[in-house]
Parts: sequence; structure tokens; C-alpha cells
Amino acid sequence: MSIGFIVGASILNLFLALALSPLFEGCARKLRATVHSRVGPPIIQPYYDLAKLFGKEDLRASANLLLRLAPYACIVSIAIAALLVPMGTFNASSQTFEPPFNNYGDTILFMYLIALSAVAVILTATASENPFAFVGASREMVMHLTVEPVLVIALVTAAINAGSLKMGDMVFWYHANGPSASMILAAIFLFLALQAQVGKLPFDIAEADQEIMGGGFIEQSGPKYALLRWSMMAKQIVFCSVFTQVFIPWPMVGHLAWDVLINMAKVFVVVLVIALIDVVNPRLRIDQSVRYYLYLSSFSLIAIALALAGI
Amino acid sequence: MEPITILYVSFLLLVAGAIVAAATSRLQRFCSWSSLGFVSAASIGLLYLAIYVFTKGSITQPQPLLSLPGIGASLSIGIDALSALLFLIISIVSFCVTLFSIRYIRRYERESLLRFYPLLLLLFASIIGVVVIRDMLFFIVFWEMMTLTSWALVVYERESKISLRAGLEYFIATHVATGFIVLASVLLYSHSPGPSFDFDALRASFEALITSNPALVHLILASFFIGFVTKAGVLPFGFWLPNAYPAAPSSGSAAFAGVVEKAGIYAIVRVFCTILPISAYSQIWGVVIAIFGTFSIFIGTMSALTQDDSKRLMSFYAIGQIGYMLLGIGVGLYFLTINPALATIALVAGLFHMINHAWFKSCLFLNAGSILYRTGTRDLNKIGGLFSLMPWTGITAVVASLSIGGIPPFNGFASKLLIFESSIIAGTEVGAAIWVKALFVILGIAAIFISAVTLASFLKFLNSAFMGKLRGVEVSSMSDVPLSMNVSQGILAFLCVLFGVVPLLPITLVYKAISGALPVGICPTSASLFGKVWPGISVDFGTAVTSGVWNPLWVIVAFAIVLGLIYLVVRAGGAKVRKVETWYGGREHIPADVSYRGHSFYMPFKQVFSFKVRRVQFQGLYPTSLPLPKVTMPKGLRLLLHPDQWFYYPIANLFMKLNRGLSKSHTGVPQMYLLWIVIGAILTLVIILCLR
Repeated sequence: MSIGFIVGASILNLFLALALSPLFEGCARKLRATVHSRVGPPIIQPYYDLAKLFGKEDLRASANLLLRLAPYACIVSIAIAALLVPMGTFNASSQTFEPPFNNYGDTILFMYLIALSAVAVILTATASENPFAFVGASREMVMHLTVEPVLVIALVTAAINAGSLKMGDMVFWYHANGPSASMILAAIFLFLALQAQVGKLPFDIAEADQEIMGGGFIEQSGPKYALLRWSMMAKQIVFCSVFTQVFIPWPMVGHLAWDVLINMAKVFVVVLVIALIDVVNPRLRIDQSVRYYLYLSSFSLIAIALALAGI
Repeated sequence: MEPITILYVSFLLLVAGAIVAAATSRLQRFCSWSSLGFVSAASIGLLYLAIYVFTKGSITQPQPLLSLPGIGASLSIGIDALSALLFLIISIVSFCVTLFSIRYIRRYERESLLRFYPLLLLLFASIIGVVVIRDMLFFIVFWEMMTLTSWALVVYERESKISLRAGLEYFIATHVATGFIVLASVLLYSHSPGPSFDFDALRASFEALITSNPALVHLILASFFIGFVTKAGVLPFGFWLPNAYPAAPSSGSAAFAGVVEKAGIYAIVRVFCTILPISAYSQIWGVVIAIFGTFSIFIGTMSALTQDDSKRLMSFYAIGQIGYMLLGIGVGLYFLTINPALATIALVAGLFHMINHAWFKSCLFLNAGSILYRTGTRDLNKIGGLFSLMPWTGITAVVASLSIGGIPPFNGFASKLLIFESSIIAGTEVGAAIWVKALFVILGIAAIFISAVTLASFLKFLNSAFMGKLRGVEVSSMSDVPLSMNVSQGILAFLCVLFGVVPLLPITLVYKAISGALPVGICPTSASLFGKVWPGISVDFGTAVTSGVWNPLWVIVAFAIVLGLIYLVVRAGGAKVRKVETWYGGREHIPADVSYRGHSFYMPFKQVFSFKVRRVQFQGLYPTSLPLPKVTMPKGLRLLLHPDQWFYYPIANLFMKLNRGLSKSHTGVPQMYLLWIVIGAILTLVIILCLR
């Protein structure tokens, strides 16, 4: 464990997850516009949006403390989750591809940080006292409940294969041992869950602008809204990195700059695919989505069975 | 003072407190405060003892207090680290519960304090007895005392039919369970050298039986298992729990969830780790315990999601969370012979969750009590927005809910982390059978999934009780709950945070308890299992590499730094703040018309798990309308059970007839009576003359 690596990699991961994520979102919006045969906004539009929102009036529909504080918890938990996810950082002293906080928290912490971000959205929504926000909160939780098993099962498959719950160890094992059936299956299932994890169509049921006017975001304004939007963008990068690094850890060369660039390129491709699925699909109803994910998680148990058999 | 004397003093203080409370039950204030005094004194004693045992090793009493050589039983007492762990829980929970009761119990104006404080104190005293006794006969005596006092608390509201019914269920279920414990103990006793009820003798008896009569060992273990898990509230044996816990006053429910339930877990660990020698039986029963635990987790938590009654919701959670402890203990028992490192971690995880559960579940029951105290209802659909009215209750409820949901850095996360990791890493263990590995991994995944459901359901509790527009409170009682109630909730919430932020401290204590309960030399050293990275843990499952880590300190530091950065960004924006009204999409509404009630939460999810099989309605997988099986008794038996029909009434009727005949002689005419007297006198004379 070298302090230099931890600090440097932390700064890098935070930079990628927080500072660069709006750029990816901008590209996704450009793609969306192209499909719609529009010109679309410039790709740095999300930065303008955030900057504008940070300066806008902060409207408070309730005196509840959680309305103000929960958005901070949301984005910070995503940022800490980013520290647990490998994004191409290579630890020269131990010769492993590990995330900065590899020795401070593992996969279980990652899953609960994601849960915490969902909880924060729910708490700020219900603290706003708006009935639409309550509907959104309820849906957000149901989505989390049904999608989480798929993520858990995929990561547990990796954990059983690698014999460790630390994400760095999983990357190390998979990179060294080559593709295996269980991991490929897990990757497919995780990809099917990715759309809902990052809150895109056809699974943006919790926000559903046209039905419940943004759900949990209805009473959010100014900086609070900016933080929530920002955390959605950061979440996309974090989840895509889990997918690209833990489940497709190739190619990696063992050189910091190259690995980070390669990872960003992979993430970029995944983000574009997500955006493409988003733009050509209608929104599902919540009960359809619940059913879909319950089936998906039952089937994904096959990946575990394969991992236990050592395939 | 000798440490063992402190134990006696604490015990006697509780008993004396019970007597004083009983004598002064009419003086409401004095009775409450004197009970608190006695309980706090006893708590301090127990806490001191716990610390003493953790630092200086276990205490055993040289001579038994009371000896019954005729049947081989003796009142022998010993305090090891496992007992000390329970002392820690009992001392803090009992103090908080009694403090909370002072004001809370005034809700029940119609009920006498005579049936509350003395019984509560005796309950605490009997649990102390349960955890220190080293002799099965006296163990059962104290166990029974615990059952009876807690039953009396369940039926505290003696005019409520629901309470009485719940009490009856509790009474029957726990006594059947006690029957099983007695059966197992007597079977073991009859094969023990001596024979004797002493734990060591029972262990020797097990050792002998394992080679000579394996079937009997399974019968004994099954009886112990059923007896203890019924008390702990594991489904399907804990069917009484969702009815009985809400029936007691909230502070009583907190005591049940905080300590009575834990006595069941204590007994399981005591029997399966200390009394049962490590053998193939620990493996088989480890699997059984883990399966029952996960069944409980799954059904208990799923059905909790559908509850709208705050205390009933918590009770279902008590079932679910007990399952987590059993899952840890089960995995641990299985791997004792295969991989002691993994086994120790899993056992530690189970017991660590037990302590954590004592803090957050007691706190949540007290929260529900505070809400009940202020609003008079347990129905989550009728209340809302209480955060502004009682902020301290709200904050403690948030802390406890996040703890039970396993959100870092609260205590529930640390123990669940260990449970999940040990069940997942069990899947990589080479020495275990493939079906067992698959089973443990599936159980682990189910537990992780259900942990999210737990969180969901507590968010529902928080959202419907504390968030939204204020409703359900009368204008006359618009104030915070009393200080005493806030303090007791605060202590428990603080412990939730403390044990979460410094997990190595409680884990070290629990490790001592487990390594003391197991035979010497089984457990690898604490440092090799959990690392030395104060205050975090790095878990090593005996594979020479750390497989799981959790270091709250650095994560919190990173959290604080990022939070500071984000705050700077927000500051730089310089947004102005303005208060506005709730926006209903452009229409005017009265909040009450458009409020989203607790019942509606997670509807699509609940519908998936609510269905009907024939005539049985399942709600969240829990049968709500179970048609009772119709038992028809043979006619002869029914007659035999009604002796009045064939014995009492015929005889009584005969006498009645006789009487009626005799009463005809009473005509009410004086002359007739005189005539009778004359006839009588003549008859008497005749008889006397004849006799002569």
C-alpha cells in the first residue's frame, strides 16, 4: 500500500467520475439528437446546465433538513463508490490493476454505497412533502430492489471465481486467467441491468417526466437539482467502469495513461450503446419492469452455478 | 469486592427492585424512579463485570451455591466472554428500556404498574440467570421464569382481546418449546456420567452418544433447536412473534427484541458450540440452522414489507434479523472442521449481528413507542410529517433504520458484511461438498437481496411516519416527546454509530466470546482473521490473502473531503434560498387529499409476492388467513372430556329430584309443623322404648 498511489489514483478516479462525466452525457445527447435528425446541443452543454443550476434560486418546499442534505449524500456516495471501482489505475508496487480504495472497502461496500445513493434520492424526495415525489420515491426503491439482485449475482460470480471480494483482485484474476463461461454470462446479465442502473429508458420509471413530472426531482431546484443530475451522470461512468473493467478487462498494458485511456474508450462505447437503447425505446410500466428483472435475476443464478463448477 | 459478588449484588438489586416496585405500585412516580434506580445500579454492576471478564478472563464460582446431589444438579455459575457479551446487551438495553418507560407507561392509565415494573425487573433478573448458569436444570428454571415474566408483559393490556389472544399463543408456543428443551436435557442427562445436569457432564454424554447412538443425538439436537429457535422467533416456529411483540407496551417490546430474543441465540451458541463436541453433527446442524435462518430472513422481511402497523412491521423484522444471526452461526458450524478461520469469522459475524440488532431494534421499538405516545396510533397510514414535531425521534429513527438496512458506516453494515462475505467465500472452499457450497452462496445472495428489502421497508416507515405533511397529531399535544424518552433513544442510536465506525472494537469482544465458547485451540488468532488496521477490519478467510476489507476511518475521511469539495462548488454558485409552497402540478389541493399513504408504497413489488393458494391468502409470502384445520374428536373422547355430562349432571339431577320431594313436606302451615313435631316425638319415644 503506497500513499502516493492511493492519493493519485483517488484524484484520477474522482476526476473521471465527477469532472468528465458531463462530457460523456453530452456525447450521449448528441447521439440522441442525431437519431432524432436534430443538430443537438454542443457536447459541453451538460456543463453549462450544471453551472446554470448551481446559480439558480434554491426553492424550499419544506423545512425538513433531509431535503437539503440528502442530495449531498447522493453525489458523495457515488463519488466514494468511484474510488472502489477500477478505472484503469495500475499499482506499480503490487503489479495489480486495482482501484485506489482496494484496501479500504470491497464489493459489498460498493453495493451499499449505490444503495445509499438511492436512499438519498428517496429521502430528499419524501422530505419535499410532494405526493408526486412520494410516487417517484416508491418507484425508485422498487427499481433498486429488483435490479440490485442482478448486480449482486454478477459481482458474486466474479468474487467466487477470484476468491476475493475486493474489486482489484477480481480484475487481476480475470485479466490473468482469461475469459470464462461464468464471467461471460455474468457480463451479459449485468449489461441487461445496466440500463436500469443508470436510470435510462426504457427503465427511467422513477423519474418519468411525462407521468409524474420527474418523480423525486419535482421539488428539486437550483444547486440541489444540480447535485442530483450530476450524480446521475457520475453513476453512469461508475457502472460502465464496473462493466468494462471487471467483466471485460482487456486490453490492459500496465501503463497508467494508456490503461486509463483504453478504459475511457470502452466506457465511451458502452455509454453510446446505452444512449442508443435509450433513444429507440418507450418507457415500460413499473410492473413490467419488476417482472422482467425478477426473471432476469433468477436466470442469472446460472452464472453462479457455472462459477461454482469452476467453469 | 470479588467479581462474582457483584453478579449476586446485581441480581439481588433487580429482585429487590421488583419487590419495592410491587410494594409501591400505587405511587406512580416513586415506583418508576425507584425501578430506574435499581436497574441502573444493576446495569453498572453488569457492565463492570463484562469489562472485567473481557480484560481479565472468565470467572467461575468455586463452589456451587446450591447442590442437589440426589439428582445431580447444582447451581453452578460461571461468567465467560459469551456471558459477558450478553451482559453488555442486558445492561444497556435494560437501562434504556426502564428510562423510556418512566413517562411512556403513563399512557396506560387503566392498567396498574404492579403488572409492569416488577415483571420487567424480574425479566431482566431471569435473563442474567439464563446466561450465567452452567447447569441444565437450573438453566431451565430461569428460562421458564423468563418466559412467564415476558408473557405477563405481553398481556399487560388485559382488557384488549388481541393482547390476550397473542398472550395465549405465546404461552402455548413457548411452553411447547420448553417441553422440547426438557426432553432433550433429560435424554442427555440419562446418558451422562453421574448422572448430572452439569454442562461438562452433558458434553461427556454427547461424546459417548456420538459413537454409540447417532440417531438419539439427532433427536436431542433437534429438540434443543426447536426449543431455542421458538423463543428466538425463527419461522415457522416463531409464528407467535408478530402478534405477541406488538401487544406488549413498546418499552416491553424493546426489551423482548433487545434481550429475550438474544437469550435464544445465546442458548443455541452455548449448546451447539460448547456442549456439542465438534463433529459431523455440527456440520449437519450448521446447514439446518443456516437454511432455517434464511427462510426466516426471506419470509419475515417480505411480509414486513406489506405491514402498515409500525410495531407489527418491526416484529416481522425481528424475525428477519434473527435469520441473519442464524445464517452466520450455521455457516460457522459447518466449517468448524473444514476451515476454522472461515468458521470463526462466520460465528463472529452472527454474534456481532446479535449485538447490533440489540441496539437498533430496541431503538426502533422505542421510536414506534414515541410515535404511539404522541399520536396514539400504530397505523402508518394515519400519521405523517412527525419529523418537525419530534426531531430527535426522527434522527434516531433514521440512524436505526439505516443501521438495520446495513448502510455504511452504521453498525448493521459491519456485521452484515461479515455474514455476506463468509457465506460467499464458503463457495470457494475446496473441502466442502458442491451442493453445500451452492447452498451457502444462494443463501448469501438471498440475504443480500433481503437486506435491500429491509432498507426499503424502513424507508417506508420513515417516509410515512416522519416525512410529508404533518398529520395524525392533535393540536393539544403538539410537542416533542419527553426528555427521558429522547435520551434512551439517543443512547441506542449512538451505539449504532459507534459500533459501526469502530468495528474492530466489538469484533474483538465477540471474537473473545466465540473463542471462549469453542474448545481451546480451534480459533486462529484474532489478528490473523481481522487484521490490525485500527479501527477497520481486513478479513482473511484462512487463504493467506485478505478477501474482504472495510475501513470506515479512511472511507469517512474521503467522504468528508469530497463533501467539502462539493460544498465549495455549491458555495461558488451562490444560489439564493426562497421558501415556497408544495407544487401540485398547477392545481390547488388540500394536502390531506393528495397524500401518498404508507400502504401504497412498493405496490407493484408487493403484488408479485402476494397471491392466493386455494383459500389461503399470502401477503408478502406470509399466510394471513390460514384456515384452521378442522379436528374432529372421536365421540367417546369428547364425552370423556365432558365429565359433567355423564357424571355431574345425572347425580345433581337425582339430588334435585330428592329435594323437590322433600320440600313438598314444607307446606307453610304452622299446625302441620306442630303435627310433624308431635309425630316425631312419638316416634322417638317408640324407638327409645324399643331399644330398651
